Amino acid sequence: MVEITDVVCSLCGCVCDDIVVEVEDNNVTKVKKGACSVGKSKLMGHGRIESPAIRENGSLKDCSYDDAIKKAAEILAAARRPLLYGWSSTVCEADKVGVELAEEIGAVIDNTASVCHGPSVLAIQDVGLPSCTLGEVKNRADLIIYWGANPAAAHANHMKRYSYITKGYWTAEGKKNKKLIVVDVRRTATAKMADVFLQIEQGKDYLVFSALRAMLYGYEDVVPEVVGGVSKKDLLETVRMMKEAKFGIIFFGMGVTHTGARHNNIVNAIQTTRAAHTHTKFNIMPMRGHYNVAGINQVCTWETGYPFAVDLSRGYAWYNPGEHSATDLLIRRECDVALFIASDPGAHFPGESIRHLAKIPVIQIDPFPNPTTEFADVVIPAAISGIEAEGNVYRMDNIPIRLRKLVDTEYMADEEILERILGEVRAIKEKEGE
Amino acid sequence: MVEELLIRNGVVYDPINGVNGEKKDICIRDGKVVEEVRNPKVIDAEGRVVMPGGVDIHAHIAGGKVNAGRLFRPEDGRKGREAKTKVCRAQSGYSVPNTFATGYRYAKMGYTFVMEAAMPPLAARHTHEEIVDIPILDNAALPLIDNNWMTMEYVKSGDTDLLAAYIAWMVKATKGYGVKVVNPGGTEAWAWAKNCDLNDAVPYFDVTPAEIVKGLAEATEKFEMPHSIHVHGNMLGHPGNYEVTTSTYDLVKGIKPYRDRPTMHATHTQFHSYGGTTWADFESKAGAIADYVNKNEHVSIDLGSVILGDTTTMTADGPMEYSLYQITGRKWTNHDVELETGSGITPFLYSGKVSVHTIQWAIGQELALLIKDPWKLALTTDHPNAGPFIGYPIIISMLMSKRRRDESAEDMHSAIYKRAELPSIDREYDLNEIAIITRGMAAKTLGLHEHGKGHLGVGADGDVAIYDLSPEEREAGKIQKAFLNTKYTIKGGEVVVKDGEVVAAPAGKTYFVTPECDPKLTDEMMTHLKDKFEHYYSVTFNNYPVQDAYVPNPYEIKAPWRS
Amino acid sequence: MEELIEEERKKMQTIRLKLKEEITSGIAKIPVEVDSLTPDKLFGKNEAEIKAVKVWWGNKEENTGDLFDVSVEGEAASADEVKIVMEGDLSRVKHIGDGMKAGEIEALGDVDMHCGAMMQGGRVTVKGNADCWAGREMRGGELIIEGDAGDNLCAMYRGEMTGMTGGKVTVGGDAGECVGQYMAGGEILIKGNAGILTGLNMKGGKITIEGDAIMPGADMTGGEITVKGKVRDMMPSFKFVETATIEGEEYKKYLGDLAMTEKRAKGVLYVK
Repeated sequence: MVEITDVVCSLCGCVCDDIVVEVEDNNVTKVKKGACSVGKSKLMGHGRIESPAIRENGSLKDCSYDDAIKKAAEILAAARRPLLYGWSSTVCEADKVGVELAEEIGAVIDNTASVCHGPSVLAIQDVGLPSCTLGEVKNRADLIIYWGANPAAAHANHMKRYSYITKGYWTAEGKKNKKLIVVDVRRTATAKMADVFLQIEQGKDYLVFSALRAMLYGYEDVVPEVVGGVSKKDLLETVRMMKEAKFGIIFFGMGVTHTGARHNNIVNAIQTTRAAHTHTKFNIMPMRGHYNVAGINQVCTWETGYPFAVDLSRGYAWYNPGEHSATDLLIRRECDVALFIASDPGAHFPGESIRHLAKIPVIQIDPFPNPTTEFADVVIPAAISGIEAEGNVYRMDNIPIRLRKLVDTEYMADEEILERILGEVRAIKEKEGE
Repeated sequence: MVEELLIRNGVVYDPINGVNGEKKDICIRDGKVVEEVRNPKVIDAEGRVVMPGGVDIHAHIAGGKVNAGRLFRPEDGRKGREAKTKVCRAQSGYSVPNTFATGYRYAKMGYTFVMEAAMPPLAARHTHEEIVDIPILDNAALPLIDNNWMTMEYVKSGDTDLLAAYIAWMVKATKGYGVKVVNPGGTEAWAWAKNCDLNDAVPYFDVTPAEIVKGLAEATEKFEMPHSIHVHGNMLGHPGNYEVTTSTYDLVKGIKPYRDRPTMHATHTQFHSYGGTTWADFESKAGAIADYVNKNEHVSIDLGSVILGDTTTMTADGPMEYSLYQITGRKWTNHDVELETGSGITPFLYSGKVSVHTIQWAIGQELALLIKDPWKLALTTDHPNAGPFIGYPIIISMLMSKRRRDESAEDMHSAIYKRAELPSIDREYDLNEIAIITRGMAAKTLGLHEHGKGHLGVGADGDVAIYDLSPEEREAGKIQKAFLNTKYTIKGGEVVVKDGEVVAAPAGKTYFVTPECDPKLTDEMMTHLKDKFEHYYSVTFNNYPVQDAYVPNPYEIKAPWRS
Repeated sequence: MEELIEEERKKMQTIRLKLKEEITSGIAKIPVEVDSLTPDKLFGKNEAEIKAVKVWWGNKEENTGDLFDVSVEGEAASADEVKIVMEGDLSRVKHIGDGMKAGEIEALGDVDMHCGAMMQGGRVTVKGNADCWAGREMRGGELIIEGDAGDNLCAMYRGEMTGMTGGKVTVGGDAGECVGQYMAGGEILIKGNAGILTGLNMKGGKITIEGDAIMPGADMTGGEITVKGKVRDMMPSFKFVETATIEGEEYKKYLGDLAMTEKRAKGVLYVK
C-alpha cells in the first residue's frame, strides 16, 4: 500500500490539490482527505469503456486501438466540415494535439465553454475581467457574492478552500468578519448560509445590474422602486455593503450565463464590478465547471488566437460564437463528422443536435461510457487524466497545476490517441496527394 | 539539417567581437560557428549585411497576461491572418499574435532569442507551456520577485542572505532566468486598490519600494547571476516621473555587480522619462535620463519606443493599467496573483494627432540618440505595450535617418517642436550601432554572450541574419523593408527563413539559471516559505515548482554563490 | 418610352446564380460562403470566368460553376450596373454581399449569416428572412430584408467597439437580439418587433422600431432610438426628460444610459 499526497482532483474547476489517497494493487483504494464527495467518487473509479470498438450493423464490435484509430482517421480525413468537440476533461498536452488535428483537417474545434461559460468569454471580449487568483480571495475578501451560482451543490469545496469559510492572512477569523450575499431565483443551499439573499425574478438579472451601477455612480433617483423583483431598499443596502467592503468578489455561474440577456448579463456584472471598483477593491470570477475548460481556452487561444468555437476550414482561424459553436453547427445540421473527447454531448446537448449526430459518423474518445456512446461509430477508451495519466490543467482562476499519475494502466492516454490519429490522417493525405 | 554551412561575401557586423562592416566568411558546423569548413553548403550573401541573430531583451510573448490579451481581443486576432502552409501553422493577430506567428515573424526579422519579460511565479507553468509553442526562437523568462510577501518581509527585517536564498529557490522553482521587478510594492498595494510611490510604505508590509529595489539588488549580486535585476520602476506613465526614475537608478549605485555589467537593467525607459505635471504640460525629459546614463555605468536601459497605431498594453503594474482604462474607457482585465504580483491588460491607440502620444513617440527615439554609448541601451517597444515587435524596423529606420524623423514629425502633433527634443537632434545611427542595440548589448547584458548568443565568434551558436541590404543604403524605406524580412535567417546552422518566407520551424531552447545557495540558508528560508504555503497560498508546496516536463529543451546556466 | 425602358434594362448586367439542389440535399447541410461573389468582384468577368471563381464550401475551395448554375445576361460599364440574382436554397449560403462596394444583389429566399456584412455601397435585397449578423459592421449602401432578421443585425464583430457606421437597413418583419450593437452611424428601420437589447452600446445613428422592444438602449452613449410599439422591461438607469411630439404622435423622451455615468449618457430614447 502506498500513500500519495498532493494529489490533484480532476473533476471541477476548484482543482483541489491537497488530496491524500491510498493506492494498493494499482487501484486507488482510499481517499483520506481533501476531496469532496463528488471528487472522491471520481478518484475511487467506476465503470468504464473496456475496449476500443467500431459500430457495424448497428452494434459496437470490439477491436484493437490500431483499428479504431485508423477508422477514425479515415473518417476525419474525408470530412468536409468536421467538428472536434470537448477537450475540457483532459489535459492541455492532449488539447495541443487536438488543435493541430483540427488545423490539419480544416475542422471546427470547440469546447464545453460553448455550453457553459462561453457567454462569460464573450463578455470578457467586450469589457475585460477584473479578477484575481483564489488565494487573494482567501486572504483578503470580506464581502463574497455568489450570483446565479450554488457552490454548496456544484463546487463543494469552494467556500471552505477559497472564499467564505476559509481563513487567510487578513481573514484569520474566517466567516466571522465576512459577509455573504447570494443572488438567485430560488433559495438554494448556498442562499441558506447567506447574510443577505436577494431573490431575483427569472431573467431579470440584467436590469438589476444596471440599477446597481446607476446607484454605485450616485444616480439612485432615477431607479424605480422595484427592479427585477428586488426592492430599491434591498438594492441600496447591497450597494452600501459593496462600498464599505475592503475587498469584494462576485462569483457567478450558469444562473446568469444562460438566462435572460445571457452573455450580456455577464457584461453587466463586470461593469457592476468596475463601478464598485471606483469605491473599493472589487473583483469578479466565473465558476468554471470542468476542471480543465480554462485550460483548453488557454491552449486554443495562444495557438489559434481564440478560446472556443474556432473554424479552421480555410486554413486560418475564424471565430464567431453563435456561428461555430458546436450546438449551433449541430442544430443547423452543418457537420458531416463529429469527434467528441472528454465531454458528453449526448447528455448535455439539445435534442435536435443529437438527432443529427445519430445520422453522421461520430467518434468518441473517453474513459467512461455515457449517452454519447449510444450512437458513436468509433469508440476509443482513454486513460483517466489525474489518475492514470499526468498533465497540465488550469483552475477556474487560471492557475496551472499538474495532475499526477497515481496508477499504471493499459489504456492509452488522450495525447497518444490523438497523436496517432493525426499521424494516420497525415499519411492518408500524403497518399491522396500522390 | 545541413551539417556544414558557409556564408560568404557577407559584410559582417559583429560588435561583440569588434567586427564592424568587414567582408568575412562565417563557417558553421553542427550548429556552431567554427574556424573553417570542408564540404559545406554555401550561401552567397552577395555583399549583403550580415549580423548575429537578434536578441530581444524584453518582450511580453508568453504567459497569463499575454494570453489574456489575446483572449479578449478577437478583433486583434482577425488582423494578420495567414493560412497554414506545409511548414507553418495558421497565424493570427497583430499586437497579440498567436504563438506560431510570434515565432515566424521574429525569425523573419532575423531574431533568434527573445526574453519573456515578466513571469508570475505561481503561473510559471503557463509561461513555459505557452513559450514551448513559439517556434524557432530560443527563449527565457524573468520571474517577478518584488511584490512577493517573502521578499518584503526579508527586506523589512534586513535579512539579505535569506532574501538571496529565496531568490535562488524562486528562480529555480520557476525555471526562470533572473529577477524581475515591476512597480515594487505598488502591485501589492494594488490588491487593496492602492499604489505606492518610491518612498511610500507598502500597506501592512511597511517597507518602501526603494528598500525593496535595493534589497533585491544586494541579494541578487550574492550570486554569479548572468543578468542584473531587471526593473520596471514605480510611477510608470505619470507626468513628471523622471525624477523617480533617476532616484531609482541611484538606489543601486554603491552595489558591486558580480562582473563587468550594470547592477540594474531599467526597462522601457521611454515610459519613465516624463516631465511636466499633468497631461496638459507633459514634456520629454529624455535629455535628463540620457544625461544620467551617460554619466554612470551601473544602469543599462532599453527603449520602449512607441509604434503609432492600435496595440494592447499589459504589465504587472496593475494600478497603471487601471488608470489607462480610466482614461480610455476601453476594456480592462486585471489579475492579482496571491502573495506575489498582479497584472493589468487594456488596449491602447497611439495617435500622431494626440500631443501626448507624439511626445512619447519622440522620447523613445531621443533616448537612443542622446545616450552616447550604444552599449548601454537596447531597442525594444516593450512589446506590445508601446507597440508590437513587428514595428522594430520602423524604429531602426528612424534612428538611421534624420530625414525620416523630420518627415514623420511633420505629420504629427506640433507639440513635438515645443515639448520634445527629437526635431533638433541630427545624429544618425550606423549599422554597427544598430547591431549593438539589437543583439550585442542585449546578449552581453543578459550574460548570454558567454553561452553562444549575440555574436559570431568561434564557438557561438550558428544564429545568423542576412539582411537584403547593402551596407551603404541610407534610404529609410529600404532599410525598414530589409529589417522586416530577411534574405536568410539561420538558426543553429539551419536555414529557417529564406527570401522572407519561413522554410523550417525547429523548436527553440529555454534558458534558465540555477543559483546555488548554501543549504543551511535554504533550510532556514524554507521554514518561512512553507509557512506561507501552509496558511496563505491556495496551492500546496509540493505542487508549486515547475516540473521538468514543462521544459523539454532546457539549457541550464549555473550561478554559484560569490566567494 | 418602351424603347427607353428596354435601353435602360440593357444597361444592367444580370448574373443569375442558382444553387444546385444537391448542395443542400445531403445529410449535412454545409454552408457555401460567397464573399467572392459581389458585383464589384464579378464585374468584368464573363460567364466562364465567373464559373471559375473559387468559393469555400466547408474546408474545400470549389468552382462557383460546380455549386451554382450560372447565367449572364447583358453588359455592364461599371460595377454599379451589375446585378446578381441568387436563387435556390440560400438558407445555407453565407456572406451574400459581404464587403460589396457597388451594384445590386437580389436573394430570392431566406439567406444565411453575414448577409450584407461590411457593405460599403450598392444594394442588397433579401426576399425572405436573413440569419444572424446581417449588415454586420456596415459602412454604406442599402440592405432590405423583406422577412425577419436574426440576432445581431448591423452589430459589431466580437471585441470591437464600433459596429455599423453608415448605410440604411430596412427589415419588413421582426428582428432578433442586439440590433445595432455599438452602432456609430447610419439608419435602421424594423417594421415588426425587436428582440432584447436593441441599440446596446449605441453611440450614434438612428434606430426605429415600429413594433415592440425589450430593454432598448442599454449602455447607450449617443444616437437615437424610437420605439412605436410597447417597451417591456424599461432600463432602470434612464432619466425621463420630457414628452415630445414626433409626426403628430406623443412620445416620452429619455436620456441614457446613466449606468455609463451621467457624463457619457447622451443617448436619446423615444417611447410611445
